[in-house]
Amino acid sequence: MFAVVLVLGVSAIIFFLINSIGSPIDMLMADRPGVTDQAIAALKAYYHLDRGVIVRYFIWLGSVARGDFGTSITYNQPVGPMLVGFGLETLKLQLPAIFLGLALAVGIAAVAAVRQYSRVDFTVMTGALLGHSLPGFLVGILLILIFAYWLGVFPSYGAYSTLTPLWGSTFADGLWHMVLPLTMLTLFNTATLTLLLRANMVDVLRHDYIMAARASGLPERRVVFGHALRNAIIPVLTYLGILFGLMLATAPVTETVFTWPGAGLLYITAIQQLDYPVIMGETLVVTVMLVLFTLLTDIAYVLIDPRIRLE
Amino acid sequence: MSGADADQIAAALPRRRLPRGPGNLRQGWRRLRRNRTGMLGLLLVVLVVVVAVLAPVIAPYAPNDQSAMLHFGAQAPPSGAHWFGTDRSGYDVLTRTLYGAPTALVVGLGAMLIASFIGVAVGGIAGYLGGAADELLMRGTEFFLVIPVFIVILAVVRLFGVVVIGTPLEGVPFLNLGAIIVLLGLFGWPPLARLARAEFLRLKQMEFVEAARCIGARPRDIIFRHILPNALPSLVVVAALGIGGAILAEAMISFLGFGDPKTVSWGQSLYFNYQVLKVAPWAVLAPGLAIFLTVLGFNLLADGLSDAFNPRLKQ
Amino acid sequence: MTPLLDVRGLAVQFPVRGSDVRAIDGVDFAVGRQETLGLVGESGSGKTLSSLAVLRLVPPPARIVAGSVGFEGNDLLRLDAARMGALRGRRIAMVFQNPAYSLNPILSVGAQLGEILGWHEKLPRRRAAERVADMLHLVGITDAVRRMRQFPHELSGGMKQRVCIARALLCHPALVLADEPTTNLDATIQAQILELLQELKQRLGSSMILVTHDMGVVARMADRIGVMYAGTVCETADAATIFRAPLHPYTRALLESMPRADRSYRGHRVLQVIPGRIPNLADPPPGCRFHPRCPEAGADCRRLRPLPLEVAPGHVVSCLRRGSDGVAE
Repeated sequence: MFAVVLVLGVSAIIFFLINSIGSPIDMLMADRPGVTDQAIAALKAYYHLDRGVIVRYFIWLGSVARGDFGTSITYNQPVGPMLVGFGLETLKLQLPAIFLGLALAVGIAAVAAVRQYSRVDFTVMTGALLGHSLPGFLVGILLILIFAYWLGVFPSYGAYSTLTPLWGSTFADGLWHMVLPLTMLTLFNTATLTLLLRANMVDVLRHDYIMAARASGLPERRVVFGHALRNAIIPVLTYLGILFGLMLATAPVTETVFTWPGAGLLYITAIQQLDYPVIMGETLVVTVMLVLFTLLTDIAYVLIDPRIRLE
Repeated sequence: MSGADADQIAAALPRRRLPRGPGNLRQGWRRLRRNRTGMLGLLLVVLVVVVAVLAPVIAPYAPNDQSAMLHFGAQAPPSGAHWFGTDRSGYDVLTRTLYGAPTALVVGLGAMLIASFIGVAVGGIAGYLGGAADELLMRGTEFFLVIPVFIVILAVVRLFGVVVIGTPLEGVPFLNLGAIIVLLGLFGWPPLARLARAEFLRLKQMEFVEAARCIGARPRDIIFRHILPNALPSLVVVAALGIGGAILAEAMISFLGFGDPKTVSWGQSLYFNYQVLKVAPWAVLAPGLAIFLTVLGFNLLADGLSDAFNPRLKQ
Repeated sequence: MTPLLDVRGLAVQFPVRGSDVRAIDGVDFAVGRQETLGLVGESGSGKTLSSLAVLRLVPPPARIVAGSVGFEGNDLLRLDAARMGALRGRRIAMVFQNPAYSLNPILSVGAQLGEILGWHEKLPRRRAAERVADMLHLVGITDAVRRMRQFPHELSGGMKQRVCIARALLCHPALVLADEPTTNLDATIQAQILELLQELKQRLGSSMILVTHDMGVVARMADRIGVMYAGTVCETADAATIFRAPLHPYTRALLESMPRADRSYRGHRVLQVIPGRIPNLADPPPGCRFHPRCPEAGADCRRLRPLPLEVAPGHVVSCLRRGSDGVAE
């Protein structure tokens, strides 16, 4: 229930802010020759700009509820499908980055935690701290510099080649373009998750039940993965929700660095062009997704940890 | 029972932990000195501060000096005349990087000050009063935590910029930057509120607060003279992290093109020069490195402070 | 009669700020078949560490640096990891001190115990579940099948300990190491658990090492007692002898300091304490480790470390004042 209020609240804020700047039509049309006043009036009516702000808000909400997000002013296309299309491109990067990050973190953290205080552990810790503190976009820029410009191995922008796809296959071409941005995202994810997981594992490995598992004769590998890791990963899994939110929020930056045609880049363009249907639509969708994720995370926590049960 | 026995027993009694007072500060400092990452962080931060203060003195050129353009010297690699080379518009990269330091610090500190005020106030009241006030305030905090802050700030900054056109506000210097700072502060308080609330809840129950109440101290005294000083260490840690985060956020906002074009900031430099990354990478690398070192410095410092104030027992 | 377990000269040390600390040094004890050995001593005497050392589960950075552990024809300290793993849980098992923490909180009781059977005896899941249920029944848990599906936090303290005991006995081990099994339980449950241990031990024909600081527990359960102090064994004898005719000054002082219901403390009878404190193992007293607090300490006690001396069959004392030889440090 509260979530709904939340979403409405956010969209309301954005809506009012946008509308307070005056009619976008006026601004866009201001310098164009040959546009008659009648045309402007007609456009305004079409976009309901002749009504009051609050009314407009509810009109918008109503159409959203029916799945109609309006039409983009800049692209002149329905916003809904646009969001889906661009959104998928964004997810193409974000989702693998998270899962890859998790998989790598599990391997690395397990090794480091078992050998606590060893040289391996310190290397891992330092590496993870660095990877976590390096601003993402800097990593991206460096990657482009080194691998795209100097070494020329990977493309420096876009999701697909404009002319001939790599090896004649669009699939391979897409993958090839994904490598650099994916590396950048995965680096941060792996580092952050490793820090968290390793700390948890070090903590868990100190517990009596780990010693008891060893005393029962179970081999070390099973103790580490079946018992220690299973316990240590619980808070990490719930952190995945937060991480995903973080990734989503910084998508505009990522996509600007790599000129990746995703929802983030769309958003920036929309803001610059004052394309408010897109802005509104995207803000709403993103907020909804974040709220959903937070809820899912809470639910996941209850499901995974048998100690917590709904009252 | 003889006197010697009584002494023995007294000596064997468990010592009561006294509440932390200002003496804790010196202890914390000593512990910080031993923490290598923390000291490194402190070093970096101090370096940035020094640079920020001395920028006008040590910079070889004026920040708006585009004289390099005159003899086609823009986008030139590092040389004797320009140690870090020149950027796309002929500015000396070193100068611009140095002048970016005070901007960054103003952003970080400004945003954190605003966030701290709001956060500690909200969290403190929630923690101290509890009950309905707590519930309500925490709901508010949750609200701010869930919204996609960065995206919203982008939109608001842009819209603010547009709204101001044609109004008398337009001419105000650093208006855009100021707006960014305020927004970062307005959206950055939830973590501080959360921590403040947790600390207040914890400290409220401690015996020295009860003792203060017993001698008739007013709530205002209890809060400001007892609880707040003890909550300060943890708050400072989160604030340090927040400063780093604010600087990073401003850099990202500027990098996307929504920053203040009239200010010299690292993010702005990145924005200006990203186009020419291939031909003049130094113009991007220098501010980028500066951002990295500054944020790292604050993060490490926060880590070190955290260890210093709450030493974790090592095996 | 060869003992089931024969520990000689065991030493464990760990680094502290550059130098090495010997947490236990020159420890000998033996456990016979179907016998209960009580290892008693104050906290820090090294009794828990000794039992962990038998299983070679000494937590790093501590490590076993000397000695031998004879068991079923092998020296456990020289055994390879694979064979040692096969022994743990199957021939030698351990019950830990705090039942609340020695069970994995996110696995069900049945899952945890079944895993052990699956590993050691390669039993299919259903067969393993039956065995687990049987064992739970044996330790006094009535609705075993239901309990197997529950998680540790749903059980009471006493029940958790029963589960831990069941876990230890799953493969019918020859030796059970019980580390303060009742210390963290309510007094009423303590008696039940001790009785249970006694009964099971007899039924399965196992031997037991019972580590505790509680003389009352040991009086009730142990056939033989080993008294430890500051990482060494002072005296070993059968229970009756320890209580009735202790030889080592520390054993005597320990027994004296127990409050007794059959003594009156009015007037000038005070509770006896052993003056002084346990030594810091990083800087132990030279010679006999007990000498600073010993009422009978002599000049040579400061120089020489007493060696174990068998004063009577089955009664071993390490004390210069009782005739032991000493060795200069």
